[in-house]
Amino acid sequence: MSEHAPATLKLPQELTIYAVGELHPQWLAWLAEASTQGREEAEVDARAVDQVDAAGLQMLVSLQRSLADRGLRLRLQEPSEPLRQGCRALGLCEWLAAGMADATPTEEAAA
Amino acid sequence: MKPNSEVDFVAEALPAFISEAEEQIEQLEQLLLQLEDAPEDAALLNALFRCAHTVKGSAGIFGLDAVVAFTHHVETLLSRLREGLVKLTPELSTLLLRCNDQVRTLIEQARGAQEDDEATQATRAALVDQLQAASGLQAAKPAPVAAPQVADTRRRWHVSAAFGADTFRNGMDPLTILNYVRGLGEVPRMVCDLPAVPLLDRLDPESCHLTFEFGLLSEAKREQIEGAFSFVRDDCQLHVIQPAATTAEFADLIDAMPDNPRLGDILVAAGAITLAQLQQGLRAQSAAAEQGLNTPLGQLLSDTVGVAPAVVDAALKKQQRSQRSLSAGVREGGGTAAPADDQRFIRVQANRLDDVINLLGELVIAGAGAALLAKQTKQRKLVEANAQISRLIEEIRNGTLQLRMVPIGETFSRFRRVVRDTAAELGKDVALELVGGDTELDKSVVERIADPLMHLVRNALDHGLEPAEQRQAAGKPAQGKLVLSARHEAGSIVICIRDDGRGIQRQKVLQRAWDRGLVEPGVVPDDDAILRLIFEPGFSTAEKITNLSGRGVGMDVVRSNIEALRGSVMLSSVEGQGSTIEIRLPLTLAIIDGFLIGVGNSKFIFPLDAVVEVIANRARPEQLDSRGRGVVELRGQVLPVVSLRALYALEGDEPARGSVVVLQAGNRRYGVLVDQLLGQHQTVIKPLGRMFRSLRGMSGSSILGNGEVALIFDVHSLCQMAAEPSGQPQDRSRTTPSEGLAS
Repeated sequence: MSEHAPATLKLPQELTIYAVGELHPQWLAWLAEASTQGREEAEVDARAVDQVDAAGLQMLVSLQRSLADRGLRLRLQEPSEPLRQGCRALGLCEWLAAGMADATPTEEAAA
Repeated sequence: MKPNSEVDFVAEALPAFISEAEEQIEQLEQLLLQLEDAPEDAALLNALFRCAHTVKGSAGIFGLDAVVAFTHHVETLLSRLREGLVKLTPELSTLLLRCNDQVRTLIEQARGAQEDDEATQATRAALVDQLQAASGLQAAKPAPVAAPQVADTRRRWHVSAAFGADTFRNGMDPLTILNYVRGLGEVPRMVCDLPAVPLLDRLDPESCHLTFEFGLLSEAKREQIEGAFSFVRDDCQLHVIQPAATTAEFADLIDAMPDNPRLGDILVAAGAITLAQLQQGLRAQSAAAEQGLNTPLGQLLSDTVGVAPAVVDAALKKQQRSQRSLSAGVREGGGTAAPADDQRFIRVQANRLDDVINLLGELVIAGAGAALLAKQTKQRKLVEANAQISRLIEEIRNGTLQLRMVPIGETFSRFRRVVRDTAAELGKDVALELVGGDTELDKSVVERIADPLMHLVRNALDHGLEPAEQRQAAGKPAQGKLVLSARHEAGSIVICIRDDGRGIQRQKVLQRAWDRGLVEPGVVPDDDAILRLIFEPGFSTAEKITNLSGRGVGMDVVRSNIEALRGSVMLSSVEGQGSTIEIRLPLTLAIIDGFLIGVGNSKFIFPLDAVVEVIANRARPEQLDSRGRGVVELRGQVLPVVSLRALYALEGDEPARGSVVVLQAGNRRYGVLVDQLLGQHQTVIKPLGRMFRSLRGMSGSSILGNGEVALIFDVHSLCQMAAEPSGQPQDRSRTTPSEGLAS
């Protein structure tokens, strides 16, 4: 088992329908990596996100659920304002909060 | 060039639109009639809306503004109906039926078959007013708003939007749509159904799996809220529920939701409880579990939180269904039954199909000719090759004839409306039962039988069925019963119209016949003959001529219409109990499997379906009466026979021994004496010319392989002719058939 932290997934500037096709295999690879690391958390850097739409957020939700499925908690680092707004628009505020909080999330949205 | 080709396209496509629109209108009517018995059926109401929606949408493409404008109002009301906000009352049903008629008129106008006139426009305007009144009335009550702080003119809505899988592919973004909706008011809380989003390895990133439930505080009208979703309307399951939604509405919403196996989630999602209430219930459940009590969550929610039991029930049922389909889906890959729209159909022009069938007929004849020549060469291989060809031709023939077959149920369905309206007009309560709707027959026969059937049904309603008081006085149930049935029998289709009314009153019929001079006054013919009198021209027993029937042009025209189709009609009746009309029609008018026989120099064909058996080389019976009738003993039973030679006064030498062909007509058997048996023969029916319509016993003619003409027997009327007692005046002329007369 390696000592250094698992690689952080960097969210791209454009998290939209136009990008999800390309991102999907990349995220799958990262997911496979992250789950072999034996950690409890997986870090996702959300600073760079500038454009967001429902397709992009859907995939992000899917990623979070896949991580949870493997016993990993998603940690969203510094979500950008566009990302926050997108989450607000789709009723994902609690989900977002759970992804940023330090304490164990209530997970009620996904229960 | 472009504008021209567009105009051409529209002009070419218009007939297809008209035809489809007519189908939708028909279906609409059927649905409305079905809904009268089940006014809350969600599936029917949905289908109803879709019909109107389809017509409106297509009409829009063709720029038929009048259709669009009117159908829009209908659609609005139907939308309310399927939301459950307006209840389908009998008055509303009648209004919608009349609106449907108006749409029909508008389509006729679009086709150019009708001109719009002031009267029609006035009717239309009145209907629009009524539609708007019906739509607006129930939805207009503003409910008391739960939020007390604001002096609110805003109303509380609950919106459920399940965006369809193709939303992204169609270029739509739920995010912008929801933002737009937020602009209409205030969204205190929105829930996204996260578990419905697949895990990453199973996700198709370009498919949309997003469902949202949220409350909306807004002054906006329903149309505005729904309007926000107009671009995704077809792909998105949208529910906009009114303030103070009733339990039933929640239950409906739960029912319509995509499968979700978690009860609590379902209820929260439906807005029946809040998340906090769900957690409260869950905590209560685990607390009870610690104490060893196993309380179902639903009951806890009901007890602690006050969710209506009916709503919990609906959610539970949904949960069970979801769980079942989850496990079943894995096994069978199945789910609920696919809608009937999954059947694939191709539109075919009827005349093209007729052309193919004609060609096929010629092919049959040519094939028969070739087979005959091959037989003469006595070359085995050639004969076999021809036999193979004949087999293939037969298969193609059967397949092609099938193409023209339509189920009679479509015609039967039209009668629901007729019976409903007519019974209402006459003030009678009638239950219509349709049996055997999937019995198939040739399209052209279906089209031509519709009018006679209509008349017979009206007759039964008008004359046959008594008013409720009379029925009750006679010890019958107040509701009259009318049964329309269809079945196949020995190569024919048999259609029955049965009523449990007063039956044919023999005395009245006889009196009328005496009055009209149809029968010598004082002479009482036997029962069958009395019933047949009803089919005489100029006959009617109605005391007062009602609008529908009784004008004396009815039954004889019905009979001749049916006979023109090579069919027959029979009437049986028991006084006080009811009447039955039985119509027999050939399955197809085109090609027939026949049995060829020879008498003297002439050849004839019997429909193979009617031939029961053949007795070859039988000595002629000793006694034949003047019309060539006698009896023959067959396995200890007596069989009436008729000699064709005598019946038709045919020429030619009579051989010492002949044969008997035993035929079945209805439930009677009889034999026909012939000279030669010539075997099975598939033949194309050519109609007899007009000159020979009066020829009884013949239904058509055919060209044999060697060019000879053979006449085709109508087994039923031959039987009747043979059964008539001697001395009965013939009301139709008899002509001798001879060769070469067929057209």
